[in-house]
Amino acid sequence: MRRLGVVGVTVVLCLVAVLGAGCKKKSPSPLDGSLDGSGEGLGEGGLGGRGSMARAQQGLPPEEDGILKDVHFGYDATDLDGEGQRIADANIDWLRANQKAKVELEGHCDERGTIEYNLGLGSRRASALKEYLMTNGITADRIVTISYGKELPLCHEPSEQCFERNRRVHFVVLGQ
Amino acid sequence: MTGRRRLVVVALVVLAWVGSASAVVTADIYGPGSTSVPIAVMPLKSGDAGSSPAGTRFATVLGRDLELSGYFDALDPRTFPERPETMALTAETTDFAAWSATGAQNIVKGTISESGGRVVLEARMFDVPSRAEITAAGRRYEGSAKDVPRMAHRMADAILEYLTGERGPFDSSILFTSTRGGPLKDVYQFTFDGDAPIRLTTERAIVVAPRWHPSGDEALFVSYREHVPRLFRLAIGPRAVRSAVEGKVSILNGAWSPDGSKLLVARDVGGNTDIYLVDSAGKPLRQLTNHWGIDVSPTWAPDGRRFAFCSSRGGSPQIYVMNIDGSGVRRVSYHGSYNTSPSWAPRGDRIAYTTRENGFQIVVTGADGTGGRYVTRQGTNEDPSWAPDGRYLVYSGRRGAKRALVMTDREGRMQHELTAGRGDDTSPAWSPWRD
Repeated sequence: MRRLGVVGVTVVLCLVAVLGAGCKKKSPSPLDGSLDGSGEGLGEGGLGGRGSMARAQQGLPPEEDGILKDVHFGYDATDLDGEGQRIADANIDWLRANQKAKVELEGHCDERGTIEYNLGLGSRRASALKEYLMTNGITADRIVTISYGKELPLCHEPSEQCFERNRRVHFVVLGQ
Repeated sequence: MTGRRRLVVVALVVLAWVGSASAVVTADIYGPGSTSVPIAVMPLKSGDAGSSPAGTRFATVLGRDLELSGYFDALDPRTFPERPETMALTAETTDFAAWSATGAQNIVKGTISESGGRVVLEARMFDVPSRAEITAAGRRYEGSAKDVPRMAHRMADAILEYLTGERGPFDSSILFTSTRGGPLKDVYQFTFDGDAPIRLTTERAIVVAPRWHPSGDEALFVSYREHVPRLFRLAIGPRAVRSAVEGKVSILNGAWSPDGSKLLVARDVGGNTDIYLVDSAGKPLRQLTNHWGIDVSPTWAPDGRRFAFCSSRGGSPQIYVMNIDGSGVRRVSYHGSYNTSPSWAPRGDRIAYTTRENGFQIVVTGADGTGGRYVTRQGTNEDPSWAPDGRYLVYSGRRGAKRALVMTDREGRMQHELTAGRGDDTSPAWSPWRD
């Protein structure tokens, strides 16, 4: 398999910076605020140069708690608990204060359970956050969702602590 | 691998019944893993020169298949009283007393002639206690020298058919995803030839759920190469990838119908996953589930009229069966509260799935939900896939720090690791027979 090499990584990082800066592009994208509604549950619009898969493609581990903190879930759960709401509320406050920012919500699961079911579960978690954000005044055109199931875990140990860390929705800030 | 080479198979039928054995083995066989029959597989005799690489390859591959079957114990060639140069080709000339001293109950030996990349291969099977040739198990193959491993697989499958009445599974291959080539998974193809698995994709994205087209020429898989999970078709020979479902839809997995005319897909819309029927060109035909629960992992019954899937409609994931017109939903999993990843057996009589119990285990149940049994009992074992013979299965099991593909049978009598090495091997899908 070809490695990117220093030049390649530099090119990728520049692209990420360009996308992050919200430069005008030919085709519509959520950065332009023009989600046309044809996108579906997982990754509407599709981008996320800073997201967990983009990081994996660059050989980087997933990010935990970026500008906005991760919301965690109970085992097999898809609804927010008290602590989850508290963190989501703080994230909503930030989004209200930063009107240009959009967010990609990544749904993740712990490593127990099977791959395909966990993709569905991650999607439910991301959508639950999207609904909560919209209920609290964040408009749909600022929110994209995607599920990574158990494919991009933060940690790999078979411990309760690691499982809990991985059961999360991760907020990726875009277009700030 | 370009095109398909014709493989000519002729069963050696000897009409003279003198000296032919009607029973293969004299030991009782209850199933793979319970009693192993000691078998000696000799490298084939090549002209007058003794053994050749191709003749040795045939024996090595055949011996390994027979061991993997769980019915045989392949003996060490260094203990054999015959060598390829001095091979006795008939029962009359074979020194069965000398063979008996090695503990062998069966012998496979034969000849190979090679010329210009083509081979003609004859393999015969003998029963030591009755000192006779088992003529119904003999085979003659003609084909390309590159197909010698395949000839060995067909011989193994024929020996199993003779022994047990059910054809063996080894003339096939297994798709799976693996991180053996990099941190992100790609689709690989495992064969029983003994070579390293072949890498089929370089997606540089998340890849899940490889499945076979019934022709065996194409794979189906989900990739995040366009940032969202989408379903793709991979023509294995030319390694050409194209989209399987029209439109920018998010698909978590797909499965070809047994006749290759339709697909069942798990499609995600706004966080809700449902099962849809799609035609072979990727046009949606019908939405089959319409439920707030997660409905995922469709697997076709071999009659093409029903399918099984995983659904959380009851509050936690269980296995359900539905008719292809969307009617008749019924639950078929009754072990505990977490059952996923169903695979419908090729004869239609059984369904395998993953259950959360003391880790994760593989369960095989009747297709009506009765008679479930554990095929594994401890550890983390997931994602079963049936072999084309309906007797064996493959799954992904945690072995130490890594996951490997493990072969087992429907009774759970044996567990054989098929892969090892760097990375995690996951999501296996066993192909149809190659013919």
